[in-house]
Amino acid sequence: MIMSEKCKQHVDSCRFCWMCHHICPIGNATGHERSTARARALGISLVNRGAIELEEIMDNIYECCTCGACVHDCTTGWDPVMFTKETRLQAALEGKLPGYISALVDNCLKTGNAYGKTEICADLSAAASAHQSKTDTLLFLGADARFMACDQAVKAVKVLEKAGVEFSVLENEAPSGWQLDFLIGAANETKEQMSACAKALDCYKTVVVYDPNDAKAIKQLYKEYGVEVKANVITFTAFVASLIKEGKLKAENTGKKVVFQDPYQLSRDLEETEPAREIIRAYADLSEMLLNREETVWAGNILMAQYMPDVIKLVAERRIFNAKSVGASTVVTACVSEYVSLKAVAGDVEIISIEDLIVG
Amino acid sequence: MQYQMNEFLFAMILTELEDAVGKENCSTRAIDKVTHSVDYYWLSRMWADRGCRMPEADFVVCPKDATEVSKVVKIANYYKIPVTTWGAGGGTQGGAIPVCGGIILDTKRMNKIYEVNTEGMYIECGTGAIYKHIEWAANEVGKATMHYPSSLTCSTVGGFLAHRGIGVCSTKYGKIDDMVLQMEVVLPNGDIIYTSPAPKHAAGPDLNQIFIGSEGTLGIITKAQMRIFDQPEERRFRGFLFQDMTGAFKASRELLQKFKPSVMRLYDEAETASLIKKIVGVERKGAFMNIAYEGVKEMVEVEEKILLDTFKKYGAEDLGSEYGEKWWKEKITFFYPGHMMDIPQMFGTMDTIAPYGKIEEIYWAMKEAIETNFPQAKFIAHFSHWYEWGAMVYDRFIIEGKDVPEDPVEALRLHQAVWTCGVRAALAHGGVVNDHHGVGIKLGRLMKEQYGPAMQVFEGLKKTLDPNGIMNPFKLGL
Repeated sequence: MIMSEKCKQHVDSCRFCWMCHHICPIGNATGHERSTARARALGISLVNRGAIELEEIMDNIYECCTCGACVHDCTTGWDPVMFTKETRLQAALEGKLPGYISALVDNCLKTGNAYGKTEICADLSAAASAHQSKTDTLLFLGADARFMACDQAVKAVKVLEKAGVEFSVLENEAPSGWQLDFLIGAANETKEQMSACAKALDCYKTVVVYDPNDAKAIKQLYKEYGVEVKANVITFTAFVASLIKEGKLKAENTGKKVVFQDPYQLSRDLEETEPAREIIRAYADLSEMLLNREETVWAGNILMAQYMPDVIKLVAERRIFNAKSVGASTVVTACVSEYVSLKAVAGDVEIISIEDLIVG
Repeated sequence: MQYQMNEFLFAMILTELEDAVGKENCSTRAIDKVTHSVDYYWLSRMWADRGCRMPEADFVVCPKDATEVSKVVKIANYYKIPVTTWGAGGGTQGGAIPVCGGIILDTKRMNKIYEVNTEGMYIECGTGAIYKHIEWAANEVGKATMHYPSSLTCSTVGGFLAHRGIGVCSTKYGKIDDMVLQMEVVLPNGDIIYTSPAPKHAAGPDLNQIFIGSEGTLGIITKAQMRIFDQPEERRFRGFLFQDMTGAFKASRELLQKFKPSVMRLYDEAETASLIKKIVGVERKGAFMNIAYEGVKEMVEVEEKILLDTFKKYGAEDLGSEYGEKWWKEKITFFYPGHMMDIPQMFGTMDTIAPYGKIEEIYWAMKEAIETNFPQAKFIAHFSHWYEWGAMVYDRFIIEGKDVPEDPVEALRLHQAVWTCGVRAALAHGGVVNDHHGVGIKLGRLMKEQYGPAMQVFEGLKKTLDPNGIMNPFKLGL
């Protein structure tokens, strides 16, 4: 397998290091040793040494959610996410992707989303139809919300409407490229999607990005890919927090006791932990779960649920346990993927989104 | 004792194991087998580094509780398949490597925290829980486990129990065998047993201590009640520089007759000049010693005065609190790649323990044995777990990559020779095979040399509890 020298160095450093063993959300949820950074590194290092075939480790390479908890935890700065993504790219280039991943990639290339969806639901279509005219501000909803959780997308639209914001919603959004980046890393196809999306966004002065997956891609990954975005890109939570500060959204604290599930894309990658808390504190009483802000534990996503639904369920259940451990009966989410994952296993714990807090 | 299975029997056994733990928790995938074939043991790492495959299990199973463990060992006993228990694989002695193939029983699905009991001051958990996770659970109620080894984040409760682990605060709070109340154990025949409800009793020998340190050779510990402690009101540090280690031993022995610090770490001159200089920043000739004392504030005040008075008597230079605080903050940094020894170097930690009067002699004997017989090796040491009667020496040999044979078998031979030489020197001067990393496959051959005819007690237990010899074969010298 062709691998950059930088990646090889990280692989060879991580293959015999156990220090982040405690932090992997998937390893902790499944109890499976293979879901650790060191196991993944060991597997790749053995491929590099000809002791095992690339195909034999590819399932494991796709069992990583790339949440970066291991990267964040590492004192010396080794980066398992980097070598995991580079291995995915190499497998794609060598035609060695597992079949279920190839199918998702094909969907991305054909329809712009891994789910192969082409139609949004009627409610979202109706909500979006009121915002078809061109304004300075675009609400970028993203594939997960548009195709897999359109009720949340509709609520996001309602939040901005409630604040009296003039904004546009696109009937057909260009994919941000985060799904391809997750599936095959820095391939030409990923960069092409990102470039096309950047071009579309540049028609607006301000782009409010609803899904943290898209926000991370546009605000952080585009720079790594050399894709420029001229528009002012702001996360949905940061934008809504500013609306509250400016008095455009009138909030009333109901005294509801809640905890917040930090999306890692906001807290670790974009270092944005407080806007969501400012919103929540305006509407409810916030307390903190174990491992919050930049130390957050990923609680599942829709994309990985396409090929490992049982594991995503275990991951979400473990985060619900963290919430219960501090006596929480309500968890607020700021990522539609985590909302869907947690909701599926919530039991007697209420899962609500930031939008639910604001528009019910 | 490699168990050779034909394809038909393999498929039959696989279905039985899947039935016991669930299909998703029973694997024959290459990645699972490879992952469970390399632990922190230098030889397994070197083997993999040379592009060789270590001995692998035929099946990797992850049971969720004692009932499922019981089902697995009953199947294994029927077919006479070896069972090697795996915690998180952070062991240095090769104790978790399935050298005879068979079944790897990974305990990490047994990670449930059943109870945080602040009245009885313990946490009851599955032994697959990573210790850091039970530390978090203790912290959530304002308590602490006080078990802080460098492997806190990478080892399980069961792993620490199986190898008699120890943390940096051991002098005050004890070793892992001091920290456990009751345990649930699955015997090799599948019976699920419980040790006595409290550890301090006169109801015969202590069952806990039969299974603690047994490294999966006598049974599988599946649940344990681990002690928790109040967070100290105050924790203070003090660094000292002794001109030589002899003064430090005398000062420390006297100190321990008066009170118990939490952390006591004495570094020999070589380690002071290497690791301590690099991480903590002490650039002085001599033996650096770091002491932490903690608890109720008024007591800490008194202890500080006793510490300063006692160490002054033995000529220790008081370096203040800064180095100790830095060490505490960086105590795990030492073990990350880039700071720690790593392949291509060959290295090992030959920790042993003895009463005062012998421990310093052991240090010099081991140093001489290693440096004389293996001039390519560097020898460094620190003394980090102390008692009223003695202390432990954590001595390491390091051979630079250029002096390590590229051929894996030749490298193995050199590694074996260094270890045999060092441990025999320790035994000859009143030490033991190991202090807190266990025995595994690395040191099994030396157990009889330490115990002599006493080894028959362990062998008798093994024969009675595990007549088919399926539990972690060739470990612990059994």
